Amino acid sequence: MGSDLLLAGHLSLAVVLIVVVKVLVAFVALLVSVLLAIWIERKVISDMQNRIGPNRAGPWGLLQSLADGMKLFFKEDLVPERSDRFVFKLAPYLSVIPAFITFTLVPIGGSVDIFGHHTELQVADPPIGILLLIAMSSISVYGVMLAGWSSGSKYPLLGSVRASAQMISYEAAMGLSIASVVLITGSLSTRDMVTQQLGTFFGFIPHWNLIRLGIIPFVVFIIAITAEVNRPPFDLVEAEQELVGGFHTEYSSIRFALFYLAEYMNTITMSAIMVTMFFGGPDGPDPTFLHWLWPILWFLVKTAIFFVIYVWFRAALPRLRYDQLMDLGWKVLIPVSLAWILVIAAMRVSRPLGFALVLLGFLAALVLTRAISIGHERAGQARIQALPGEEINGDS
Amino acid sequence: MAQYLPIVIMLVLGGVFAAGSFIGSGLLAPKRPHRAKLAPYECGIVPRSEPPERFPVRFFLVAMIFIIFDIEIIFLYPFAAAAGELGTFGVIEVAGFALVVFIAFAYLVANGALSWGPSRKQSYRVVEERLASKVPTGVRGE
Repeated sequence: MGSDLLLAGHLSLAVVLIVVVKVLVAFVALLVSVLLAIWIERKVISDMQNRIGPNRAGPWGLLQSLADGMKLFFKEDLVPERSDRFVFKLAPYLSVIPAFITFTLVPIGGSVDIFGHHTELQVADPPIGILLLIAMSSISVYGVMLAGWSSGSKYPLLGSVRASAQMISYEAAMGLSIASVVLITGSLSTRDMVTQQLGTFFGFIPHWNLIRLGIIPFVVFIIAITAEVNRPPFDLVEAEQELVGGFHTEYSSIRFALFYLAEYMNTITMSAIMVTMFFGGPDGPDPTFLHWLWPILWFLVKTAIFFVIYVWFRAALPRLRYDQLMDLGWKVLIPVSLAWILVIAAMRVSRPLGFALVLLGFLAALVLTRAISIGHERAGQARIQALPGEEINGDS
Repeated sequence: MAQYLPIVIMLVLGGVFAAGSFIGSGLLAPKRPHRAKLAPYECGIVPRSEPPERFPVRFFLVAMIFIIFDIEIIFLYPFAAAAGELGTFGVIEVAGFALVVFIAFAYLVANGALSWGPSRKQSYRVVEERLASKVPTGVRGE
């Protein structure tokens, strides 16, 4: 089970102080990385689109996001008269606080000694571990849902019902792919996940969950969390052509900034979680000097790579249509990840049982394909019957 | 429970940060409300109708179907965490459970509960069939 040795014994004042310092460092680091991430996203997207991007505020436009954030403090904060005022003001909290909490799970480096106390470079390592991530991503659905519902306007409402349906759909796929990582780790703790991935196969292939689990849980996970944090190509929540700004159309000033902040924090945290779960977290080559620094460096490099991959997704992929989104989530990702976790579980026990389950999986795929085609036919027929009679009968 | 202390501190800090931003914005931002500013956003058109309180029932359906899988995931996590000790028995039990859920899921899919789109091919085919059966042959194609 996961537990930070620092908090295992008696809680002295020094221990509490160390915890507070760790939380503060993580908090500031997260905020600074959001500012950098927004800058990186804008710069990379500009490069991909043959533009220059922000280049006025600070060297290479580095301070652009800070300037934008400060500007938003000076903007008028409107609460629409038809809104439910309490819920309207509550929603940004529900969006931003889970984003902060999720980050506490991420192991940033190895362990260090501070003032005679041994501690892990990770804000929290609770026994529930990765379940906290699932809990927090469920709560952030409330943030989006309530924001749209309480605005008292049609575009936010439509955006938020879409968002909540999308987020809960992909949460199932996300949960199943995380379950396969839990299965192979045998523990919910993120620290255990990282320590289990140390070492190599045959001396050169890293012993990462990516390889141990096959690529499929990773692919499911990256697609599911892209939908979960509403990043393109799954940003139907804020499809400009249909929904203006989506669920935060009515939000202005700092309330909007908090939603924006939460989105980027979630993206960074999810990149970090992905690195933790599938890419060994802080694992990497360790030269003989500066032992505490290298894991942090590897972790940062891997996380940055995944963040840039998200930006790349945004630049390269067109937005999905809603039915494509739902079909992908329900009819592909969920069955595939469910079958895969059963196969992994069976393969760990015995090979024959594993192959029996592979066979069962193919059988299930056939059944599902048939079910999908029947479903399409029935939905089509229902739609035809719902049409007014004269349209079908034509002029006759 | 001491392991949850950092999470509680982070929760408080996040709350203080959000509240502090609101207070800061309240002190710094101008306040010049106007009827047009406070109206729901409608691309410049004066809204006449009440805010819509109806949306497609399909979204509720998705939420209900999600519960099936949520329950399955809830049962999968304890199994996943203890798979080493449960061995073959555990795998067969979970596979049986997954099979039951899968049958329910296949039933839902076959009923069109998760078919959102226009499903163009199918719809057109049905329309064609209907037209063929109802419209006199002379009218068709003109």
